[in-house]
Amino acid sequence: MDIGEGLMMMGKFIGAGLAMGIGAIGPGIGEGRVGASAMEAMARQPEMIGTLTTRMILADAIAETTGIYSLVIAFMILLVV
Amino acid sequence: MNLNLTKSDKIFLGVIFGGYVAVLIYMVVTGYRFQLEGVGQRWIYQLPFGEGPLSRVNPLTIIMTWVVMGLIIFMATRVKVFKIIPGKKQSLLESLLDYVYDLVKDSVSRKEYIRPIFDIAASLFLFVIVSNIIGSFPGINAFPAENGGVTFTILADTWYAPTSDLNMNLMLAFFVFVMSHVYAIRVKGLKNWGKSFFEPIWWMFPINIIGEIAKPISHALRLFGNIMGGAILALILGYLVKYFVLPAALWGIFGLFFGAIQALIFTILAIAYISSLIE
Repeated sequence: MDIGEGLMMMGKFIGAGLAMGIGAIGPGIGEGRVGASAMEAMARQPEMIGTLTTRMILADAIAETTGIYSLVIAFMILLVV
Repeated sequence: MNLNLTKSDKIFLGVIFGGYVAVLIYMVVTGYRFQLEGVGQRWIYQLPFGEGPLSRVNPLTIIMTWVVMGLIIFMATRVKVFKIIPGKKQSLLESLLDYVYDLVKDSVSRKEYIRPIFDIAASLFLFVIVSNIIGSFPGINAFPAENGGVTFTILADTWYAPTSDLNMNLMLAFFVFVMSHVYAIRVKGLKNWGKSFFEPIWWMFPINIIGEIAKPISHALRLFGNIMGGAILALILGYLVKYFVLPAALWGIFGLFFGAIQALIFTILAIAYISSLIE
């Protein structure tokens, strides 16, 4: 392995790590807020727990979309190119 | 929760769980060697005529699309006669479609468009959920080999889900995009539809156009990322533990749980995109 190839591998690994790490910040904050609000609502109205859990999972799945994008980008950097 | 399982139900569930265990035993006994070579790559067939992107096809996507359509048609023919006291298959279908119908009824304000939008949404929902669930059962998959050929993996990976191909998802999202604008033209008339791009002020036109184009792209990428990312993640994590117990659980989570949620979200967003334009 010459130096150019080594530098390319280094760039790939650093890039994939940064893509996944920075990309996970937004979904983390978003899902945390969704979960906190859902817990608050459940504590206030325990008889609505079933409905609230379904809606919470749906909102989580939408909030984690950008995290999933960065996962795909990280896989593409590591495996495809 | 009170479950009343008949004998045939228990046999059916037993076959599924027994299948997972049998696949695990098969992998351990045969000493399956996993390589990270072909992960994320697709079997692409070059047609004998023409050049460029339109002359290449992805054979596995086409085959599995027809398999999914065949499964749905088979399901539909099995519950031909709708009875007042529903059987098992009929009540499964009815509860699924009832849920989608309630979603459409809640978000579409014009009465005469509820039925056609329900038809679109239910077709999308059934197709996406069946193809996602297919991706949770161990089966046959294909990867391009080093020398230009194709290697088939049997039972070491799940069945190929057609929704893990971006072309498929873009086609579905583009269909929703076209249908939403067709409905918008029919409801508002051509003049008012064109005028809606210049709201609130005329120089917002490029931003409105970009906003419309971004809809189908994010719609498609959301489903693609979840299914494809889940499949690759299950492969890589399965490689770490040498296929010990973990892959079956991961396939179950990514295929059944996330697959069902993503199918529901795809449907809800399609309904929202269509109904937001015919207000």
